[in-house]
Amino acid sequence: MKKILSNKKAITLFVCPTILIMLVIVVVPIFISAYYSMLDWDGLGKGTFVGLRNYMELAGDERFVNSIKNSLLYVFFSLFIQLPISLLLAIVVANVKRGEKFYRTTYFIPVIISGVVIGQLWQKIYNGDYGLLNALLGSLHLEHLQQDWLGQESTALIAAFIPNLWQYVGYHMLIMYAGIKSISPEIYEAATIDGANSRQIAFKVTIPLLKPVLEVCVTFSLIGALKIFDLIYVLTGGGPFFTTEVPTIYMYKTIFDSFHYGYGSAISIFIILECFVFTMLLKLFFRNKEEQV
Amino acid sequence: MKNRMKKLVVLLAATSMVVQLAGCGGGTGSAPADEAKADTPAATQETEAEAPAKADDTAAASEEEITITIWHQSVADTDPVKKIIEESVTEYHELHPNVTIEQDGVTGEQYKTKIKTAFAAGEAPDISYMFSGGSFVKPYIDAGYLLPIDDYLSPDTKSKVLPGTLDGCTFDGKVYTLPTITFLANLYCNTEMFDAAGAKIPTNWDELLDAVEKLNAAGYTPILMGEKDRWPGMYWYDIISARTASNAAIMEAFGDPAKFNSEGFIMGAQKLQELVKANAFNDNMMSMSYDEMIEGFAAGQGAMVFQANWVHPAFQADTAATKGKVTCVPFPVIADGAGSITEFSGGSSDGYYINANCEHPKEAVEYLEYLSEKIGIVGYQQGAGLPCWDTTGVDTSSLTPLDTESAALMETGTSYISWWDNILSAEDSETYKDLVAQVMALKITPEEFAEQMSKLQPSEFY
Repeated sequence: MKKILSNKKAITLFVCPTILIMLVIVVVPIFISAYYSMLDWDGLGKGTFVGLRNYMELAGDERFVNSIKNSLLYVFFSLFIQLPISLLLAIVVANVKRGEKFYRTTYFIPVIISGVVIGQLWQKIYNGDYGLLNALLGSLHLEHLQQDWLGQESTALIAAFIPNLWQYVGYHMLIMYAGIKSISPEIYEAATIDGANSRQIAFKVTIPLLKPVLEVCVTFSLIGALKIFDLIYVLTGGGPFFTTEVPTIYMYKTIFDSFHYGYGSAISIFIILECFVFTMLLKLFFRNKEEQV
Repeated sequence: MKNRMKKLVVLLAATSMVVQLAGCGGGTGSAPADEAKADTPAATQETEAEAPAKADDTAAASEEEITITIWHQSVADTDPVKKIIEESVTEYHELHPNVTIEQDGVTGEQYKTKIKTAFAAGEAPDISYMFSGGSFVKPYIDAGYLLPIDDYLSPDTKSKVLPGTLDGCTFDGKVYTLPTITFLANLYCNTEMFDAAGAKIPTNWDELLDAVEKLNAAGYTPILMGEKDRWPGMYWYDIISARTASNAAIMEAFGDPAKFNSEGFIMGAQKLQELVKANAFNDNMMSMSYDEMIEGFAAGQGAMVFQANWVHPAFQADTAATKGKVTCVPFPVIADGAGSITEFSGGSSDGYYINANCEHPKEAVEYLEYLSEKIGIVGYQQGAGLPCWDTTGVDTSSLTPLDTESAALMETGTSYISWWDNILSAEDSETYKDLVAQVMALKITPEEFAEQMSKLQPSEFY
């Protein structure tokens, strides 16, 4: 066995299929999209090559800039609201005395439900006429707070973000929970003997040891936030008046509603580059930290 | 082991060659036809190349097992066309045992995505539904994806189609599809609510405002609007501008959009805002979808809705609160406007188009003739729309009063304009729908609206 694995030819042979599949279904389409993004094309007939014109137009497109702002805002919420909640839950669930399994499963349930179903669910919660949220406010005698959550510009964006944040809290919680569980109990014992209270244990022991896991969560959360599409599409479709539009939705609309395949491809290339750059930045950030330590 | 490997390789090579041969089949087949008929349009060449081949052994060909695929967007249970297509599959198979029809449907907005992707990927069905008007189907025709069917149409079929209805199926002088049923937008009023509020079914703008006031006072939502999808609002501006500017002026403006920046169109936007300011629409119109609007009206949540006659089955379903309590009237006239009450929104027909790469164009057209007529006549009988086919001798006893009312309205019509998103190009349609939504949210003034509209591209499908 060892012999085979040290044979370069054998390695190439075994790795080949995966690399090929990756190339064909991931890398090649990216390059094709990059080519499409330089066309003025309706997606059906023949396109004309326009070079970087689509990208230049993107830079001056207010709707596009606005959609990026929205998605960055969502990144902020994901990193600074969603992840801390997940972390808190993970620590609590890992230390809970009874019903650990029950809590773990409960928090994970939203993750396994499809985004479209969650969208429909929250649509009913937010509904201005018969929605649960307004009904709740009504029963608390807060009628003046009742409103059409998804229909007005002031609340639509936040209202569209909340289900997304809620859905993936359980996902990150589970990853962190697994990380916490893999920390050796002896370390905790030592900390307890040294007289640390549970808050000190959390901040001085658990979180520092969880760093590699947190790094994964931050990356997932960031990329997920930049690519967010389905829930917002179901909840508001990017409306009212583009207030909830993120780049993915704008891309979908340009390609399939406005028939601008080239321009839409330029947006998709932007999203890919954006994800790439942010991941690199994160890596750099974490590496710097490591060096400091 | 080695032997087996060899066999496998040979087998693989053989299959790949067969696949390649099959792939080349179409191309080589069309070569002789090129020489024989150099001046036939590109799209028909391939099919004609196959036609003689079939004639040689007609007996065998007619017994050949053929599968024809059709995609459509009739998936709602309240849409009678859904049932018609489903029934046609079994019925047609009984009539032509060698032909099997495979149908598949997804709902409207998703259908637009699906059909576009399928054509681009070369995986489109033999027959596909296309939205009425012209701007939706035009890019597909320009790209050579669709087959002109003049050569296959029987004279018998042409004689059964009502005069003029083939015009909408003709592009650059060639017929591409057959009409089915035509739609007309009307104002639907819940008579029970109007009676309870002491309001009069409006015939002019002042009466409409008066009705809005009375309905509001009685605690009803005067008009339901599902503006989340944006096109329900578009229908309102479509018809209001037909009243303020007249259909003739709209047609001129489509040809020369600079004319959108004129008094009639500004007034149209003013009138729409007047309704908004009078609290005529539901508060949550920006988050209500089209489906919720229709279900809401059928459940008695609002007193008026302006929609096309495809809503009849939903409003008259046994479970609907509005069953027997709905009347339809032409949109109220506006006193200072240039339009009259006989100008309508609608009047065009959806159609089913044949893929240029269809392997059995003759059979596909035969099925198209059968299906289009069936939708035209049975669809009419079930209240889905008004027929584009000769209905002499057709049993109309199943028509409800609402169907008869809307059919009578259509007969009073002097001019029709299809929904604007079927006339404007895909991009301009989006712009227009967004603009109307902004007018309704009072985000832009009527003047700004007209100014923006004047920047659209000229269109040819009116």
